[in-house]
Amino acid sequence: MTKLRETIKSFTQIEGGLMPALHAVQEMEGHISKNAISELAQAFNYSKAEVLDVLTYYDDFTLEPSGDHVIRVCGAEACQSLNSKKLTDQLIDHFGLSLGETTKDSKITLQEVFCLGNCALGPSVMINETVIGEADKNKILNFLEDIE
Amino acid sequence: MIDSLKIYIPNETTSNSVGAIDAHKAISKLEGIEEVEIIRNGSWGAFWLEPFIELEKQGKRLGVCYKGIDLSQLKTLDEFLSDFESRSPFDIRDIEFIKKQNRIVFSRIGMGDPLDISFYQSNGGYDALRNALSLNHQTIIDKIKESGLTGRGGAAFPTGIKMQTVSDQNDSIKYLACNADEGDGGTFSDRLIMESDPFSLIEGMTIAAFAVGASKGYIYLRSEYPLAKTYLKRAIETARENNFLGSNIQSSGFDFDIDLRIGAGSYVCGEETAMMESIEGRRGLVRSKPPLPAINGLFEKPTLINNVVTLATIPPLLNGSLNDFSKLGSGKSIGTMPFQLCGNIHQSGLVETNFDISIGEMVETFGKGTKSGMPIHAIQIGGPLGIYLSSAMMSTKLTIESLQSIKGSVGHGGLVVFDNTVDMSEQAKFAMEFCSKESCGKCTPCRIGSIRGVEIIDRLQKNKSSKEDSILLNELCKTMEATSLCAMGGMTPNPIYSIIKNFPNELIEK
Repeated sequence: MTKLRETIKSFTQIEGGLMPALHAVQEMEGHISKNAISELAQAFNYSKAEVLDVLTYYDDFTLEPSGDHVIRVCGAEACQSLNSKKLTDQLIDHFGLSLGETTKDSKITLQEVFCLGNCALGPSVMINETVIGEADKNKILNFLEDIE
Repeated sequence: MIDSLKIYIPNETTSNSVGAIDAHKAISKLEGIEEVEIIRNGSWGAFWLEPFIELEKQGKRLGVCYKGIDLSQLKTLDEFLSDFESRSPFDIRDIEFIKKQNRIVFSRIGMGDPLDISFYQSNGGYDALRNALSLNHQTIIDKIKESGLTGRGGAAFPTGIKMQTVSDQNDSIKYLACNADEGDGGTFSDRLIMESDPFSLIEGMTIAAFAVGASKGYIYLRSEYPLAKTYLKRAIETARENNFLGSNIQSSGFDFDIDLRIGAGSYVCGEETAMMESIEGRRGLVRSKPPLPAINGLFEKPTLINNVVTLATIPPLLNGSLNDFSKLGSGKSIGTMPFQLCGNIHQSGLVETNFDISIGEMVETFGKGTKSGMPIHAIQIGGPLGIYLSSAMMSTKLTIESLQSIKGSVGHGGLVVFDNTVDMSEQAKFAMEFCSKESCGKCTPCRIGSIRGVEIIDRLQKNKSSKEDSILLNELCKTMEATSLCAMGGMTPNPIYSIIKNFPNELIEK
């Protein structure tokens, strides 16, 4: 049995297993491939369209791989009050990306997110799973340099 | 070991976001550090002081704000200790921001290691569950009713009545679902419980499940909270290892376990029926009510749905704090509420207090004005579906009733402060933009109305005195309000109404 099939199978016996299965595939593959959609459909006894129907609803599941590092800039109100819009524009300029896009070298994906729960020390940016508070362009670039 | 010397370094999202991780790294490397005990505590919720590092010796605990200070240059423990002393350490419990609060639910945050179940138990933890397991189910529900507790997630529904409805169902299978999809911009109280006192949530869930007869619980946690996920996972495991979850809990004959489910970036999944759809493995589309989830909920079984703070409030209520809690306030606004003070504010953080406090007191006494030093122009209360108040409305009380009377809501208790550089027409537009991005798409007025709303406000930004667009915006808002199934479309007009009313000439010129 392939590793993918095995991973998916472990979720078929639990209630509402499709969501955790999608998370597991996303983590394993970095996106949800066509092959995984077929495997999920078969394992859960859904049509491929039904699997696609669920996964396309959620921002966290992607049909294409994201960049090595995903930068998510918070655009919710508390960060707006501390000029997150300017920060977002600076990052858009710096990377030459629109929100939701990935650099050609597949290094960076730039996204918008609504609230990281770090509202007390905004503007907030999440890089992969690390939240940066009182963020500015330099802090973000330095962090990227450190993890490279 | 240096006799009972302890260093506390928080491990919590906001503290980590401004340097707690680096501080921990630097301190762990100090020569001689093996002589002291390092405790990764939660945060006290006085976030502007983070990373707040504390030293405890001979029972005395003092701390220093290490924001922006690079500790990696220090080589030995002694160097660190003298650096620490030179920065005028103080006891955080003595500052006004903490002293003026009434922490009943957040009584333990910041004190110790959130995953240390012995620490939890030696500070009142699990006393309530032990007590509850010896009580009759109805007695517990009656106590919750008596307490006056209402749901802290946003809807403020009486918790005891909801529990009664679930308890009254005769099904052999019932569920408890904890809504940890804290999505409102400007809120973090659920996160703080999960990261700084996770056992209080687990204990609250166990008591609630016992009272209503549920044997399985779900926590639906938003994926934007990875640290909370780690904490909850480990706390659930520890609770199981100590027989606080699983079968025959504390030899009572009661079985209950918790399954942690992770959301996937959808705001609407914080609405209870959409959350159930998502847990069941579908798109997060809202369901129409009735049936009420309490009667026919998750997997078509009776389901008690409560938010994190509501559930974490149950243990103190059954552990001697019921009177202290219920004597505060009146009507729906009984007990304490964890307000979250944030945005452009100097002293940002969690403020647990009674509801009967004015916005002015909150942003001045606790918040000490804006971070930028500019005058306050607007305060958003209750998240993206709440309202904006102007600086002329500082005497407004934060009770559920007071805010309802001006078409607002306490919601999840977030207060976001804006200084006078804010463009209120942009805030109005954001309300519609947010709705268009997060709408589940089920109701047309929400799905399409929000896009039309953005377009109308775009035009108003160019011509504030357009009568036609002002009427159109009002009619659109009325339609969304009247014809959307859930609060997403139904309450998105609220911030817009409030901007039109409280900020004359900033969106629409009369």
